[in-house]
Amino acid sequence: MRALLLLMVSGMLAGSLAGCGRTAVRASEKEFLADKVMIFDNDPQETSSDDHIRSNREGASGGHGAGGGGCGCN
Amino acid sequence: MQLRRKHDLFLRASAPTNAALRRTNPRDLLRRCITGAAAVIAITTARPARAEDSAEVSTSVFEEKRQGGLGGLTVIHPQADVGIDLGRYVTLDAGYAADAVTGATATVYQADATSGATKFSDLRQEGNAAIGFQGKRSRIVFSGEFGTERDYLSRQIGAAASIDLPGRNTTVALAYSHSFDQVCDKDNGMLTPLDRIALTGADVCAKSNGVAGKDTPGTTVWRDLAIDTAQVTLTQNLSPTTNMQLVAYGQVLDGFQSNPYRRVRIGPVAPQEHIPNARARWSATARINRFFPKLHGAVHLGGRFYDDTWRVFGGDVELAYSQYIGDSMLLYFHARAYQQSAASFFKDAFFYETESTAGEYFTGDRELSPVRNAMIGAKLTLITAGGDKRVWHLFEKLQLNLKGDVLILDQLAGNNTEPNPMGISKQFIYGGGLDAVILSLGLLGNY
Repeated sequence: MRALLLLMVSGMLAGSLAGCGRTAVRASEKEFLADKVMIFDNDPQETSSDDHIRSNREGASGGHGAGGGGCGCN
Repeated sequence: MQLRRKHDLFLRASAPTNAALRRTNPRDLLRRCITGAAAVIAITTARPARAEDSAEVSTSVFEEKRQGGLGGLTVIHPQADVGIDLGRYVTLDAGYAADAVTGATATVYQADATSGATKFSDLRQEGNAAIGFQGKRSRIVFSGEFGTERDYLSRQIGAAASIDLPGRNTTVALAYSHSFDQVCDKDNGMLTPLDRIALTGADVCAKSNGVAGKDTPGTTVWRDLAIDTAQVTLTQNLSPTTNMQLVAYGQVLDGFQSNPYRRVRIGPVAPQEHIPNARARWSATARINRFFPKLHGAVHLGGRFYDDTWRVFGGDVELAYSQYIGDSMLLYFHARAYQQSAASFFKDAFFYETESTAGEYFTGDRELSPVRNAMIGAKLTLITAGGDKRVWHLFEKLQLNLKGDVLILDQLAGNNTEPNPMGISKQFIYGGGLDAVILSLGLLGNY
């Protein structure tokens, strides 16, 4: 299982990092990236509640992610 | 006890604001993907980026199935958060959360733990505040948090910073927090682990002014637990419809981490659980969002790997889909699968009973056992935008969230099942199969 998980996450990391070399997305192309559903953890209260439940049920908790994203603006 | 929230700070630091989209210049790989770390360290607030004031309240009800004929476990979790701007560069956030817990708990971890289960109740309360400074492309937040319950005190300070790299397609965030926690424990003096007595609900856990533990010699003592947590997050736009996020997370815990109430059957005795004081854990996460303009929906995919010094390793995969229905309704469906291995010192109860401890340690914590679970759920969001006229004469936008999740649990054997005639079906009072249901209702207003 460990190897499978490592392989899966490594594949996603590699695929994601590959995107850093792409031509940048222009501001005029960011309509969809700015949409609420494209923002990671767009409801921090809900995310913290979910994480709260996980951390009380699972030994491998933590590091689920952080907010932000979408249009790439802070 | 130990019902703690750990990630508010990390979420708060990189929560999106309404900064205008700006024209992007192409940057090379090195500049966009590596120099971010240095940029974050030298974070500045050059120009303002104004956020919306907001208020959010929500309540979740968590209902977990339990064996033993004493009913289930119910947790009611209300939350309230307020965020305001203090001028152009400064934000202030404050929040409150509570857990009202009632239900059954196992007295002793043993091959049949269900027969000795008892009922309990507890109330945990937590308050937090944060001050943030934001510029055109950067943000830094300092926060403090205090949590209290009968047998646990948590005091946390932290800082988090994020910056958009040139081109505004890459955001890098760093966060660090330190917790000074205290756990109420039975005063066992110099007794060896196998002679120690567990804490009971009748034992007094005294506090000094409500904010610090106060020992009651001969009855209870407060033990320290220090928690250092660090996280770095990279968020990257990959195309006009795709973005991704990478997260590296690390945490070091040093201090008392046992459940002081839990006992473990070791041959003829049932001493208090005894686990190591030090634990270091790390995880790596990757998440991707893809928007489908023609469908007016988006797919979300995530994977996480976890490892720690107790030899617990595991991970999860998550798949979700968001679908707009018109302009005022959003449906969200998600599914998650999780699996972990056992800690190196975990044994199925039968083997603690018939063999002995695992080295010097013994535990009956399900979180340290081999287990897998799955969650499926859906969320409905109704959005009311006021336009020229405010909603309820107060909000520019009001959002109602209704959410329901179902958890399915599969408890796995920690040891070879052949020499275990008792099996593992009753060593925990948690039920297998359909394990828990979570219902949430939330209201978010922007004004």
